[in-house]
Amino acid sequence: MHIVVCMKQVPQQNSVKINTDMSIDASGIDQIMSLFDEYAVEEGIVWHEKLGGKVTILSIGAPAWAEQMRRALAMGATDALLLSDPAFATLDSVGAARVAAAAIQKLDAVELVICGRNSTDDETGTFGPALARALGWAQLTYVGKIAAIDGGTIVAERHLEETVETVETKLPAVLTVIKGINEPRYPSLLRIRKVAKAEIPTMSAADLGAVVSPTALAGRVPPPPRPQGEMIAGADNAAKVKALVQKLADAQVI
Amino acid sequence: MSNDIWVIFEKNPAGDGPAAITRELLGKGRALADAAGGELAVLALGAGISGAAAVCGAYGADTVYVVDDPQLASYTTDGFVGAAAVVIEQHQPQLVLAGPSFQMRDFAAALAVDLRSGVVSDANNITIEGGTISAVRGSHGGNVINTVTFTDARPAVITVRKQSFAEAARSEGRSAEIVAVPMPAVTIRTTVRSVAPRQGSVNLADAAIIVSGGRGLGSSENYYKLVPALAEAMGAAYGASRAVVDAGWVPYDHQVGQTGKTVTPKLYVAAGISGAIQHLAGMRGSRTIVAINKDPDAAIFRVATYGLVGDVNELLPLLTQELKNRAG
Repeated sequence: MHIVVCMKQVPQQNSVKINTDMSIDASGIDQIMSLFDEYAVEEGIVWHEKLGGKVTILSIGAPAWAEQMRRALAMGATDALLLSDPAFATLDSVGAARVAAAAIQKLDAVELVICGRNSTDDETGTFGPALARALGWAQLTYVGKIAAIDGGTIVAERHLEETVETVETKLPAVLTVIKGINEPRYPSLLRIRKVAKAEIPTMSAADLGAVVSPTALAGRVPPPPRPQGEMIAGADNAAKVKALVQKLADAQVI
Repeated sequence: MSNDIWVIFEKNPAGDGPAAITRELLGKGRALADAAGGELAVLALGAGISGAAAVCGAYGADTVYVVDDPQLASYTTDGFVGAAAVVIEQHQPQLVLAGPSFQMRDFAAALAVDLRSGVVSDANNITIEGGTISAVRGSHGGNVINTVTFTDARPAVITVRKQSFAEAARSEGRSAEIVAVPMPAVTIRTTVRSVAPRQGSVNLADAAIIVSGGRGLGSSENYYKLVPALAEAMGAAYGASRAVVDAGWVPYDHQVGQTGKTVTPKLYVAAGISGAIQHLAGMRGSRTIVAINKDPDAAIFRVATYGLVGDVNELLPLLTQELKNRAG
């Protein structure tokens, strides 16, 4: 089976700044694989080990993103494809999903796409479902366990707020996975060395056709500072606690 | 395209009316529709939901479209999005609002693509000015506030973060026109085999008060001795920092933060939590924050409304007792 895993590189810490052109300034912050995507990569590799075929890491981003794609290759992915073009820098999630869909349709007989439930920087959670719909495929989001992939169907558990749904759908399908679906492996040193110089194939906008984002960024600011807080003083712990509860009651919070 | 605003219906736990989030969307939707000179409509999808959906008339809806069909007894993307897209294409509202639950997130992004439009998730404000629809949403763990506009794409699809807007007030005697819509022909590829309650699930998103414990408690035993007791005294749900979840003290379901749950209760008590960026990302939107920590320089105090410096293992039992005394 050919499995595609969508992977995004994100700043390790979200203490980012905002450039005057509204782009994100993450200078000085390490770039990592988005946390939920790491689970997606692991899950893709786990099922690749059971089913054979290929597992391709797909990413939309700058050439520098090859670093995290190599990490996924070192974990056990067989292929990688980077969609890279200056025109992609301002894609919204639906625009990105349409670009990814165009690329996936050019790949060889993909039957399953796995994404993280959301990226840890933009946090929209819209890419996976939008991708499924752009491809015209079935989708299962918030998957906490894949029970079986067999005979053109997939059975999985969707972990929702208060319930677990066991669902079955037809392949091809797009899944989004949650933290805890597996324990992502550390790539071995041997494999890290093996893929260190691996060429990452790329496609550009010219290969994938015109793409338009339905939404645009009109403003980007840091959050307003929270009003200065108040440290509760008191002769001892009991006095402090009494004072706190009184303040909460006065503010009608309790 | 019309100037109408549509709200996707979700029923309340009793099943006899709209959920709190639907009432919020009706409150905001009414204001937007009035300003734009449009109607406020509800789209209800499900099986056996007509009665509950009709109650939306008392909360400001002008029209309630109901697709009440056994094929919609369980949520599937194909069934819900397929049906919604057909009805929405017929009536062409300018904006479709949905809640932030996992099902609605699944629904909204898929719907936007089917409508050849766009989606914004987790908005906490929405404006329509001069025909431009804009939504405000946080990203990067709350460190960035984005204003996103829908260019030409209509209908705009937006999911809304809970407690962003005032709920519509109930107005007895007010009613909506109810339009029963036959289930459109859609192919549903997904079967829901079973639905089970989640073991140890914690609905932090709906809690008005949350008490969270962190590493300052020292051990899992201390966490369970002190945090649930305080939560009970406050009528609160209890959460935890990533550090103690990763240490195995508390299950992941309780985790508040960037890789756990994002919460916006009216009161958040952070007990023995230092305030790592990853934790602040999940709770900085809380209205009132109480921080209790022995380190006066802890980052959590920078977002706190009230700070208490001291040993959390001594302060929490005193706080629990004080609340019980007052409740008398």
